[in-house]
Amino acid sequence: MSSLLALLLVPVTGSIVAAIIQRYRLAERLVSFSTFVVTLLFLIDIRVGDAFTWSLGFLGKNIEMGLQITPLSIFMLYMTIAFGVLLTFFDLTERSKMKSFLLLLTLAASNWIFMATDFLSFFFAWELMGWASILAIFGGRRTAESRHGALYYAMMSIGGSYSMLIGIFLLSNLTGSFSIQQNVSYLVSIMTVHPWWVLGIVSMFFVAFMVKSGIFPFHTWVPYTYGESPDGFVPYLSSVMSKYGIYGFLIFLPLTLSLRNVPGVLGLPWPNYTLVWFGSITAVVGSVLAFMQDDVKKLFAYSSFSNLGFILAAIALFTPIGLTAGLFHAFNHLLFNGAIFITVVAVISKVGITRMSEMGGLWQKMPLTFLTFFVGIASAAGIPPFAGFGSKWMIFQAMISHGLIFATVLLFFASIASFLYLMRAFHAIFLGQLSHKYDNVKEISAIGKITEVFLIGALIFFGIFPGFILDPINSIVGSFGLKPLPTSGYEYINGFFSSVNMVSIFIVVIVAFIFGFLLFAVSAKHKKVPQEDNYTAGQIPKDWNLTPEMYQFSYDFYEPMDKEIAPFLKIKIDGFFKGFGDSVEYLGSSIKEIFTGNVQIYTYLAIGGLVIFVIAGWIVW
Amino acid sequence: MSEWTEIVDYFRGRSMWMLHYCTGCGAIELPPTMTSRWDMERFGITPMATPRQADILLITGYLAIKTLKRVIYTYEQMQPPKWVLGFGSCTINGGIYWDSYNVIERLDKYIPVDIYIAGCMPRPEAILDSFVKLKEMVQNGEAKGYEKYVKNYEWYKANQDKVLKRTKPVLERIEKVTKIG
Amino acid sequence: MVIVEFLIKLSQGFGIGALALATGLLFGGIARKIMARIQRRYGPPFTQNFMDLFKLLSKGSVSHGWAFDLGLVAGFVPMLAALMFLPIGPFTLFPSDSSLIMIVYLMMMAYLGMAMGVLASGNPNSAIGMSRALMLMAGYEVPFAAVIFSIYFFSKTGYLTQIVAMQSGGFMNWNIVKMPLGFLAVEIVLQGMLGEKPFDQAIAPAEIASGPMVELGGKYLGFGMIQHSVALFLETGIIVDLFLGGAPNFWIFIAKQFVLYFVVVLVDAILPRLRVHEATSFFWKLPLFLGILQAVIVIIQGGVLNV
Ligand code: SF4
Repeated sequence: MSSLLALLLVPVTGSIVAAIIQRYRLAERLVSFSTFVVTLLFLIDIRVGDAFTWSLGFLGKNIEMGLQITPLSIFMLYMTIAFGVLLTFFDLTERSKMKSFLLLLTLAASNWIFMATDFLSFFFAWELMGWASILAIFGGRRTAESRHGALYYAMMSIGGSYSMLIGIFLLSNLTGSFSIQQNVSYLVSIMTVHPWWVLGIVSMFFVAFMVKSGIFPFHTWVPYTYGESPDGFVPYLSSVMSKYGIYGFLIFLPLTLSLRNVPGVLGLPWPNYTLVWFGSITAVVGSVLAFMQDDVKKLFAYSSFSNLGFILAAIALFTPIGLTAGLFHAFNHLLFNGAIFITVVAVISKVGITRMSEMGGLWQKMPLTFLTFFVGIASAAGIPPFAGFGSKWMIFQAMISHGLIFATVLLFFASIASFLYLMRAFHAIFLGQLSHKYDNVKEISAIGKITEVFLIGALIFFGIFPGFILDPINSIVGSFGLKPLPTSGYEYINGFFSSVNMVSIFIVVIVAFIFGFLLFAVSAKHKKVPQEDNYTAGQIPKDWNLTPEMYQFSYDFYEPMDKEIAPFLKIKIDGFFKGFGDSVEYLGSSIKEIFTGNVQIYTYLAIGGLVIFVIAGWIVW
Repeated sequence: MSEWTEIVDYFRGRSMWMLHYCTGCGAIELPPTMTSRWDMERFGITPMATPRQADILLITGYLAIKTLKRVIYTYEQMQPPKWVLGFGSCTINGGIYWDSYNVIERLDKYIPVDIYIAGCMPRPEAILDSFVKLKEMVQNGEAKGYEKYVKNYEWYKANQDKVLKRTKPVLERIEKVTKIG
Repeated sequence: MVIVEFLIKLSQGFGIGALALATGLLFGGIARKIMARIQRRYGPPFTQNFMDLFKLLSKGSVSHGWAFDLGLVAGFVPMLAALMFLPIGPFTLFPSDSSLIMIVYLMMMAYLGMAMGVLASGNPNSAIGMSRALMLMAGYEVPFAAVIFSIYFFSKTGYLTQIVAMQSGGFMNWNIVKMPLGFLAVEIVLQGMLGEKPFDQAIAPAEIASGPMVELGGKYLGFGMIQHSVALFLETGIIVDLFLGGAPNFWIFIAKQFVLYFVVVLVDAILPRLRVHEATSFFWKLPLFLGILQAVIVIIQGGVLNV
């Protein structure tokens, strides 16, 4: 099928063009935007079941490779490409140092990942995606730090890739084939005979996926890397790229279906149970660390992998409701995280700093950005009728239906903690006193406004009509051999314990709001006062030289809480990786001395290294 | 319309929230007024924390010029309808501070006072009496000090400026003291 | 036809809203009276809260801009919306839509709106108050989650209407008998949810000038009062539905709510205020222990659900 190949070739072509014309900023951006659009157009006439195969002769061996579309892959493709369209559109007027050709290369790689039918191309695409994203991180705001962040990420990725590579070769040694389907069904067949073998091999793969998604204990790179990567790239990194790990998990999770009759914990096979715990711990660790953060990008980096923890916990159950909830949350996370990060990027581009305690009061200057952010955090907090409510609600039901009391309480705590850090960011960035430094700050450009309006619309639309997403998810659930949840119209979410009609909630909220504003209008008049006219316990602000910065409380917002959670923070997970990282940093600085920091050279180096790496693996095998 | 105003006035009289500005010695009479012995809450009067929430501003006793400045600021932060109670002889004619160089003598030269409570210091009964009196005045639509203030603002402002120009900023070289970082 | 139905629902919704608001205000007034009597005072008339609300709505106020207005309206409106899904006695406006978690999250929207409004005022006292309120929330929502878990797992449904229906047929069927530990946990949680002593750090009037409410006056404070009253009705109402078997009619429903609230008021009258982090960690100790113990008992009793 030619359009399957087009999904790979169009981004690669676009990438080459963008690389050539990268001096001309606007043209480069336009190329990247139009490439995404063209890819999306090709995607539209692709259907489930489309396939394409070719074979590769290498060292006298004939290796079957192929592309295939499954319900899950088409879902992932749509999420990736549609979000990319939005992001590149937003980026047309942004001036971050993101390299578009790397983004397009990532797109090609991710399309390949989702379509690959054999581990060889899966691995190659995975590496391509990894390296392209690592290089994209290099162009951060602060050069030295972003290099450090990229190297940290590179180190973790390489670790994951090694692990995955060993897994692939072990498996293909056993089966003599690279095909994903054959290997997985082979694993199913030996599941009952050699469970430890299967576990060993599968966890080799899972390390790579956990690294990519930032699942505990491999979450440590996420804040460093997100915090330092180029502003335009962070939304893609956190909304889209973290989902690749989830795709990987879903390749292997059907294995556990054959364990359903073996006694486990609370009717759940113990591999699932363990993964649920990994997910829940990730969710809690992410949320707790997030509300101690002052750097806005880092805060939402923590938030991002915390949500990945929710998704993992839900899909790890591998029940119809769990899987539905997890995939639904993956989609909602894409939307609200995109909204949050895009507004954050907009704010950073206007105020020029990332420290939240130095912002404040920006709602007066950037009203639409403020509203988008508000809708974004309301969705992230799972508030109806916005998107995000349905999936969180389903995750809780999925957890409760299995009687996983501790994991449920942990996830609930993570959800409340997320409310805390979202409010803190909301307050520190947009509310409170507006510093005079920002008197000249303006709302973002028209293109940015269009993106924001679109995001608000999407968050509300998919909140009210979740069926448009639940339908494809149901077909995914069916394709895994599970019984999909019942559907009853686009406005319903059917959970395990109850169902909710989102339209009726929406109408009730709207009517209540109309009533609220009527009450507001008929009660006594108010007087609009400037922010200086504020309660100061009788002191006259001028006499005390009171500046807005002094009258803004946002630094160390949850200070009393630190006392309670300080003991948990003492457990330094990244201590281990730090020691490792120091040596990598040394390596990095010696590389830096050889090269001048030119990204192209890194690209060639990386691709060359990759080829050597693959060939070496081949020969050893 | 006048029936509506009457209803509104009736409820305003039954629910008055008070901000007490306690610089004078009379503040000591307020705790018994609020608590079990005299219990002012039975008239719907509750102490409040900030001027935005309050209806009554109770000035307990003498006001130095520097505190007058704060009182005026606080009074202007309150929203109409608002009433001022001058408590103690000091607010009426300076009391024992009548010849002091830095204490004002008559409060209603600077902000409109609705009711004065005479005495040095007045007993809680007197305070409660003034509350009841204020309630009646509000319900009859007589307590309109805040309107007087708006109408005669120039006069009040001139009086305020005349004394306030004798104050110096609390801190000299404020920039130096309150510098951040 | 649809329009007529809509209008009927609308008027019923208004009725529910008005009743809940009136009940909440009345409870507040009675609580003030009880408090006064405990302190050997005469106390205000029990209709005092109505007069206060009326006065507030007719009093002038200051606004700090549209985010302030929007936030404060959004602070009480979702509470009213959540109320529409609560089974009140035999009556439910949307019988097929009374999912417990949904109501809880709708209430969360009210807190979000309130927070946005008061923080837009730009006063550090309100920010401190808000941070305290949120920290307290991180405390009490955790044991509450454990209780929700037990209820869901035990009743095998998430609809409040069905949970109520399962408890019909006498006192021995009530969840308070079947899950006493969970009830105990939720009664402690209620104390925190309503922000009564010892958990009233957020609005400490003497230290942080009434916290979130510092810049609110007039109608804005009135909105805050509406929010508090409706939240009072909603939270006690949820517990009545969950543990006290709902009610055959509205009056019994209110009576049961009042019993719950009465305990809260008594505790409020005798305890001083805790420090912020002490309050949060308190919820992570005793109530959470009770809630989890209850959940474990329920799991052992009920076994695994058939998924
Ligand atoms: S009137 Fe008397 S008691 Fe009151 S402040 Fe003046 S001197 Fe003190």
